[in-house]
Amino acid sequence: MNSIAVKDLEKTYAGALTPSLRGLSCTFAEGTIAGLLGPNGAGKTTTISILCGLVEATGGSAEIFGMPQVPANREAIKRAIGVVPQRIALFPQLTAFENLRYFGNLYGFSGKPLREKIMQHLEAFGLEKAAHKETGKFSGGMKRRANIIASILHEPRLLVLDEPTAGVDVQSRSMILQFLRDYNAKGNSVIYTSHLLDEAEQICNEVAIIDEGTLVVQGTPKELVGRHGHCRNLEDVFLHYTGHAVRD
Amino acid sequence: MLRIIATIRKEWLLLRRDKAGLALLFAMPLVLITVMALIQDAPFRDYQEVKFDILAVDNDHGRLGRYIREGLQESGQFNVVDSINGQPLSEAAAKSMVAKGKYKISITVPKGATAEIVSNANKIVNDISKRMGLPSQLPVKALSNDSLAVQLYFDPAAKKAFKSAIHQALDNFLTQVETDLLLERIQLQLRSRDSLSQDTFPAIRLKAVALRETSLGEGKQIDVISNSVQHNVPAWSIFAMFFIVIPIAGNMIREREDGSLVRMKLIPGNYLSVLTGKLLFFVGICIVQFYLMIMVGLYLLPMLGLPELQLGVNHVAGFLVAASIGVTATAYGILIGTIFKTPNQALNFGAVSIVILSAIGGIWIPLEIMPESMQMIGRLSPLSWGLDAINDIYLRNGHIPYVLPDIAKLLICGGAMLVAAAVVEQRRIG
Repeated sequence: MNSIAVKDLEKTYAGALTPSLRGLSCTFAEGTIAGLLGPNGAGKTTTISILCGLVEATGGSAEIFGMPQVPANREAIKRAIGVVPQRIALFPQLTAFENLRYFGNLYGFSGKPLREKIMQHLEAFGLEKAAHKETGKFSGGMKRRANIIASILHEPRLLVLDEPTAGVDVQSRSMILQFLRDYNAKGNSVIYTSHLLDEAEQICNEVAIIDEGTLVVQGTPKELVGRHGHCRNLEDVFLHYTGHAVRD
Repeated sequence: MLRIIATIRKEWLLLRRDKAGLALLFAMPLVLITVMALIQDAPFRDYQEVKFDILAVDNDHGRLGRYIREGLQESGQFNVVDSINGQPLSEAAAKSMVAKGKYKISITVPKGATAEIVSNANKIVNDISKRMGLPSQLPVKALSNDSLAVQLYFDPAAKKAFKSAIHQALDNFLTQVETDLLLERIQLQLRSRDSLSQDTFPAIRLKAVALRETSLGEGKQIDVISNSVQHNVPAWSIFAMFFIVIPIAGNMIREREDGSLVRMKLIPGNYLSVLTGKLLFFVGICIVQFYLMIMVGLYLLPMLGLPELQLGVNHVAGFLVAASIGVTATAYGILIGTIFKTPNQALNFGAVSIVILSAIGGIWIPLEIMPESMQMIGRLSPLSWGLDAINDIYLRNGHIPYVLPDIAKLLICGGAMLVAAAVVEQRRIG
């Protein structure tokens, strides 16, 4: 089964002159760590937003674990996925524990089981000593780690991460990447967007490069690098397909 | 239910740690109400409890001068000043003091004023006696060329209503003196004709029909509205409750900007339950705010020399109105927080719109004294519905059925704003 499958996906935002997605089609198999890569404005965030049900597509279809993204499936899809936004989607005036307790409560967890779950995750991410510190006072890496915990409290089958390592130090980055490998090893799927192509090359089983709202190429990093003799790594492949022109 | 309780707890923690937000919601309204009640106390008292010093120059030394002095003193609204430093007041000195603004008014009773009234009464009695075939024996002065007048000097800054009240009072005193003297002259004429009439002359009732005032409130004076506390405490409490728009809208826009709104929407379950928790929390805050302001009216303002706030007889009705105002204010905050994209836009629009709604809604000055066209516009302001309902309870001792129309208007308005916010949010997804 595929973790996600999008077909001929189109999206034009109200008032926009050009479409954000122009018939994007791609699939990722369940149980992989997949990279959705592309320059700025390629349509990565729009694709993820449509998959999560935050934005409605203008055309085409999107499925998660075989469930079409339609209002009738929205609750089931929400239970199946965890989304780690690029921004730190936590309340800075609340402590890490209070934030996680709140989001845990929204997922329907409460009491001792929730407290234990929160403390386990905080320990796993090296945040147990900062549990009762306001997240606004966290370092960048600590915020990123807490941001991930808030999205996995319900143990989703598919974890979608938007630039999860942007602006973090080497240690935090290493911890986050290891967590993704471990999470995947439990049979869960991960979809991950990043501009750090060496990182994507390191952890992704499969990548899809998209540009201007369409799929440019898809395959394993090794396969893509091997296709072009002049490409030494995924970054060379990326530049080969998307060009050197600066994107805004 | 867990989602609602969790949201209430989250909002409480956020508010507790937001010192500026707490000050905006609780400390500033307390200061505002105290200051407004104090500074508006004098204008409210102008025609009620404050005694004005009034200069009286009595050049007549007769009954008219005495009646005017005693009448003004007994009215309870004036202190009659007829001497300065032990010296009788002259007209020139009185005029000068009024011109300098030291006093608002001076009254000069001219010399011979009472004699002129007596002579006029004598003339009337003589005329009647003559027509009845009786001898005309009361002395009458020769007609003078200059008619006598009680001279009034007003401070140019004195209000029109104040001048009018003084004119009316003095007219009454003059009429009373003229009537008294006329009756006396008639009695005198009749007694001189028949010595027996001294014992049998009936008392003349001057006022066959009297005025009687009955308050329509249950056991309370309806004119309690005239004091500053009774207007300002409820009015500015409602204003302060509506200022909850600022923290709510700011809170919602921050949640949208930092992505926590997206996170909440991605969690299974209806987002409406999160909004319900938010709504309940802020309505609760509004109610706490309202009763804190009421406590100011009950305990703090009397300590500062102002009257105590009167709460009517039905406290449940008061609570329901406060909760309804809270629902409307919170819904307005949610709508603004949904429509506007940046905190600056939302906060500026929110603050200015509340000031406008409060100005037209009778918060600053009672709606009744506005021009009719403004009154019609003002009746559309939710703040005026809230204030009307509170006045119905506090001043007219109204019960729940009395304020149900206003409560319904507030809740329908709040519901409409929540629906509008939902529509805007739904369009955003598309």
